[in-house]
Amino acid sequence: MVIDMPSLLKPFRLLLLLVLAMLAAATHAQTSTYEARLPPELFSARDMCAYTDCASVLPGAVRFSERKGSPTFVEGFDSSDRLLGYVMLSSDITDIPAYSGKPIIKLIGMDANGNFTGIRILKHSEPILLLGIPETALNRFNDQYLGKHVGDRIEVGRTRAGEDVIGVDAISGATVTVIVQNQVIMQSGGAVARQTGILEPIVREQRAFVEMGHQPDWETLVTEGSVQSLIVQPEDVGLEPGDTPFIELWFGYLNHPDVGLAVLGDIGWSRLMERIGDDQAIFIIRTAGAESFKGSGFVRGGLYDRIQVRQDVDVFNFYDLDYYNLFGVAAPGAPRFSESGIFVIRGDSFSAAYPWSLVFLGNRIDQATGQRSFANFSADYWLAADYLEGGRAVIKAPDAPWVRIWKVRAVEIGIFIALLIVVSIAYANRDRLTRASTRKNKWPVNAIKYSAWIVSIFFVGFYLMAQPSITQVLTWFHALLLDWRWELFLLDPFIFIFWIFIIVTVFLWGRGLFCGWLCPFGSLSELLYKIGGAIGLKRFQFKLSQRSHDKLKWLKYVVFGVLLAVSAFSLTTAEMLAEVEPFKTTFLVGMFNRAWPYTLFAAGLLALSIFMERPFCKYLCPLGAALAMPTTFRWFGLKRKQECTSCKACAVGCGSLAIDEKGRIDARECMLCLDCMVLYTDDHACPPLAQERKRREKVGLPLTPIGKDGYYIPIKPVPAAGATN
Amino acid sequence: MSQDIDKTTAGAANPSRRRFLNTTALMGLGGAGLAAGITALPGGTRDAVAAPATNGGLNPHVNPGELDEYYGLWSGGHTGDFRVLGIPSGRELHRVPCFTPDALVGWGITNESKAIMGTKPDGSLQFTVGDTHHTHASYKDGNYDGRYAWINDKINSRIARIRLDYFVCDKITKLPNVMGFHGIFPDKRDPVDPAINYTTRVFCGGEFHIPTPNDGRDLDDPTKWQALFSCVDAETMEVRWQAKIDGNCDLVATSFDGKLAAANQYNTENGITFQDMMAAERDACVFFNVARIEQAVKDGKFTTIGDSKVPVVDCTRAANTDPKTALSAYVSVPKNPHGVNASPDGKYFICSGKLSPTATVIELEKVLQYFEGNVADIDDTIVAEVEIGLGPLHTAFDGRGNAYTTLFLDSQIVKWNVDAAIRFTAGDTSAQYVVDRLDVHYQPGHINASQSETMFADGKWLCVGCKFSKDRFLPVGPLHAENEQLIDISGEKMVLAHEAPVRPEPHDFIIFRRELLMPKQIYQHEDFPNAITDIANAGVTRDGNKVTVKMVTYAPTYDPLEFKVKVGDEVTLILTNLDRIEDLTHGLAIPDYNINFIVNPQETKSVTFKVEKPGVYWYYCTHFCHALHLEMRGRMLVEA
Repeated sequence: MVIDMPSLLKPFRLLLLLVLAMLAAATHAQTSTYEARLPPELFSARDMCAYTDCASVLPGAVRFSERKGSPTFVEGFDSSDRLLGYVMLSSDITDIPAYSGKPIIKLIGMDANGNFTGIRILKHSEPILLLGIPETALNRFNDQYLGKHVGDRIEVGRTRAGEDVIGVDAISGATVTVIVQNQVIMQSGGAVARQTGILEPIVREQRAFVEMGHQPDWETLVTEGSVQSLIVQPEDVGLEPGDTPFIELWFGYLNHPDVGLAVLGDIGWSRLMERIGDDQAIFIIRTAGAESFKGSGFVRGGLYDRIQVRQDVDVFNFYDLDYYNLFGVAAPGAPRFSESGIFVIRGDSFSAAYPWSLVFLGNRIDQATGQRSFANFSADYWLAADYLEGGRAVIKAPDAPWVRIWKVRAVEIGIFIALLIVVSIAYANRDRLTRASTRKNKWPVNAIKYSAWIVSIFFVGFYLMAQPSITQVLTWFHALLLDWRWELFLLDPFIFIFWIFIIVTVFLWGRGLFCGWLCPFGSLSELLYKIGGAIGLKRFQFKLSQRSHDKLKWLKYVVFGVLLAVSAFSLTTAEMLAEVEPFKTTFLVGMFNRAWPYTLFAAGLLALSIFMERPFCKYLCPLGAALAMPTTFRWFGLKRKQECTSCKACAVGCGSLAIDEKGRIDARECMLCLDCMVLYTDDHACPPLAQERKRREKVGLPLTPIGKDGYYIPIKPVPAAGATN
Repeated sequence: MSQDIDKTTAGAANPSRRRFLNTTALMGLGGAGLAAGITALPGGTRDAVAAPATNGGLNPHVNPGELDEYYGLWSGGHTGDFRVLGIPSGRELHRVPCFTPDALVGWGITNESKAIMGTKPDGSLQFTVGDTHHTHASYKDGNYDGRYAWINDKINSRIARIRLDYFVCDKITKLPNVMGFHGIFPDKRDPVDPAINYTTRVFCGGEFHIPTPNDGRDLDDPTKWQALFSCVDAETMEVRWQAKIDGNCDLVATSFDGKLAAANQYNTENGITFQDMMAAERDACVFFNVARIEQAVKDGKFTTIGDSKVPVVDCTRAANTDPKTALSAYVSVPKNPHGVNASPDGKYFICSGKLSPTATVIELEKVLQYFEGNVADIDDTIVAEVEIGLGPLHTAFDGRGNAYTTLFLDSQIVKWNVDAAIRFTAGDTSAQYVVDRLDVHYQPGHINASQSETMFADGKWLCVGCKFSKDRFLPVGPLHAENEQLIDISGEKMVLAHEAPVRPEPHDFIIFRRELLMPKQIYQHEDFPNAITDIANAGVTRDGNKVTVKMVTYAPTYDPLEFKVKVGDEVTLILTNLDRIEDLTHGLAIPDYNINFIVNPQETKSVTFKVEKPGVYWYYCTHFCHALHLEMRGRMLVEA
């Protein structure tokens, strides 16, 4: 046999070509926006979106308006011409230069509610992204904003839930670039959000100064709060604790004549005020530490990348042209300092009548790994009320984030609560439903239950993503032990409400009402089983033998136990192990957005559900296990008759395999499907009852109504008047 | 109701931030209000202003990261430039070209600088040499206001103005019919209008006698030769008036009340030879009654010289014998005096004897009384004339009543007390007016102290311009650096603290506190009518053989990067730097065309040149700007 080598190589050559092409594409992608030539019309044309792909940052939009507003933006509409959101060109709104001294021009998309939908870089001049840090890093940085709200306080650095600050991870080595990006994205989004009513416009009233004419010395300035300090200790930045601070800064507001004159002296102050016009200025001195608060970013890029002034959501950065020399502090008793500066806050959105803070943008070094992470430190400042005509401005305290969420989602919350109430009322009236049902016709029960399933699966599960999870239980255990903060739990209103419902119903009726009626995944699982049965797969459907079931059902407790134990050591690991719940894959992230093992696992469980009733719930669900235990102490159980101990009629039909050979219902396993309760009053299905019916029919006795005990109300002769028994 | 009140205050809030400017501007006159006690300096604690201290101990060393406490404005001598030094370090911070070309910035190369310097009909520079001696800055409320400084060119009789916001020369005026323009001093307020408490005039002393006009007449009749004293408008830089005088003016001084200007004079003999000039035992300090001179001009009592339109009044002795109408008065001072300096208390002018070992103290109030006819003899205005040492030249003050005079021949500084000298002259022989003497190295000429020429002399640093340095620095061949020595005068005894070499050969200088200046950081497009504010406007246009190249820079590139011209074209290249980051200055050099200049951030400059040789000419950035600075170049393609 002759082997044709070239023909054998052909496919490899193709493959090689393909790989080369992909490499070329990747390289191209990396450099494509560096100093990209953009059509000049993009910056001026009314029809901006004719010159760039606006839909790339606002998925689903098919039509865009012309430029409108000031600063300008465009509206995007979907195929049914519904307003989908907004697209803005960053250079229309701000030309803050990045590290290169030139702005990064980007296209920003935001939906009609103010959530970022896309951020795309059109052009940048950042040498740093040419020389080592791939451009994709900036793309990844920008991707962090997707889904975040324009009204959030997003900062480069750590998330600080207590301060309502959402952190985004920086790109190491490109601090200036990313800080500017953050500012550009938030400013651009904010400028448009304030025009479109997503955010309330920020107007900070300026207040006239009360000139007291006193000449405060340094101590007085400190006492009255006109100068404040920002101190960072070595341990705050991951260094060995020491006697002296890592950096100690003193700062203050200079426009107030009493403070300004005290700090700068007559000539220094009046010349500064002459120079800055209507702008405002602060001074900073460093009284301890060797680290510069000026850094070096300003040298080429112009930006002082280690300090910012923040007033509520507004961030004021300083550029080289905003800096003046601070020659000395005139106030007697001022400390010696080793670095100093006057920084000008441009524009009128800053007001000294409102509180503000100085932020020092530091680095924290992990001694073990040598890794640097961003660490911001801030100190607050608020000019004394005596210095302001009418005192300090009254601040409309912003709603706590959880309040905001509850307000925003009020309608959904209402619907959700209604669902829970309806189901609870229905279940509380289960007697009426079960009596109306028979073994042959369970629709009075099932109509409600199936409706609940459908709503749970699609509304609660897929839409609200309110699938309760074992991770919440683990979090509570830890919160109970360490620091219980209601705000944290209130942040997800649906989960919060669901859990109140779960706790109440578990102790009233057992876990079955949640597990069997309202758990989105459980509902989906059993619905698939029911559908499977209905479409003719019944003959393939099976259940484990009671013996096997009774052994296997303990597995879920083991799973729960392991998770709880692991969580004691590492909550993160426990949360990773909690992937045993297919909830995240099914509802939160989506089957197609996860790595294949997760998808396979969730899909496998759901596929198995077609043939076996609730396999996950029965054997794996750690949440079910966690709820099963307190179910032991439920208040209202299901009814049983004397005959139940020997009659196995219910047990045969029990999908949950919760009825043991002695006829006892294991409430921990019971899904409260109420099948056995339907039988309980069905005189054609419940053997003792059917027997009695047949007997009465035979002897011609009337069929009296069935009592609460599940028996016909006994026929008693009416006693003669006045007689007693 | 309360809400309404809030709204009213809100409306008033913004302007109120600015309200205090006016009040503080007025405070300056208060005198003692000057930035007293700026204590917490990076380098350590400094004494309060003019506080009498018992001993010295100021630290002249400015550590890395620290800033000098004072600006020093220096003349460059016959380099023809203006220099900025930091004091006490003595570090040179900047040179401002004015009278002579400068290859770094393109002064004398660009069209804009040529227009200021003055050109011949063919477009080439009229002068390329200059000799700057004296520089003084504009005043407001008795202190420097940071607007302008002026500097003289003795060779070509020109006065240049330096804007102290950009530190550039913006105007040059040539004084008509003057040769050897030497002394210069701005006035400090208007002699008549009390509202004008700032500089509006600059007085210029003429030194050499020449025929008027100097057009070839009277070459052999020196008796008809004349020297002129000139007054230049501080804003327009036009010559307001000139005055014929006897003698040769050296330095100029002005009074804090604005009423008097004076020039010390040698050669009142009006001699031509060395011997003639030193014949008289006493020369003079000539005082000008500014208000009377300007009234005379207003009244039409003036002449003009040649084709000059400038009114010329007669301030010679012979024409001003009646004190009540005199425009000028000549106080006699021994002998070939040098230097006249105003004391910071506003009371005295002090002249140095040069060839006489004396200092002469003239009381200004008495000079004013003389003009009122209340003083019989003009020399009665001399309240002290004391021996202080050999070769006295210039005097500075510490604000505590002491004067510091350079003794050229003794190579010394003498510290003497003005009040004690007055008492001594009045007959109190026990008055010890000499307080201290200090050797300096060597041959001291000008002297000045921190804030000495203002009402706010702070008595901290004294700087002495030593003309010879001999053995004080590493030898570098026959031409030595001069030696600017710094003396701590905060104590009773003078302490030599520091010395710094300067390239020859500065004359005079002033020293003032750093907070008095607010220099701009970058330029603005509005400063330049020909600015190219947008890349879109860059490009080449042709009108016959006149080609205009509008070019912009933004780091690290030019736009356009290539342009084509033909031999015989006249090219005007306009260059705007669009970068807005401090220090991001670009240069433009065109090989073989003698062109190099820089554009600072947001600055615009232009050059015009004839295209003479065909070929490729790479123009490139000469001023480091960026990591890709070397790559910043473009092509001028010249077609034959």
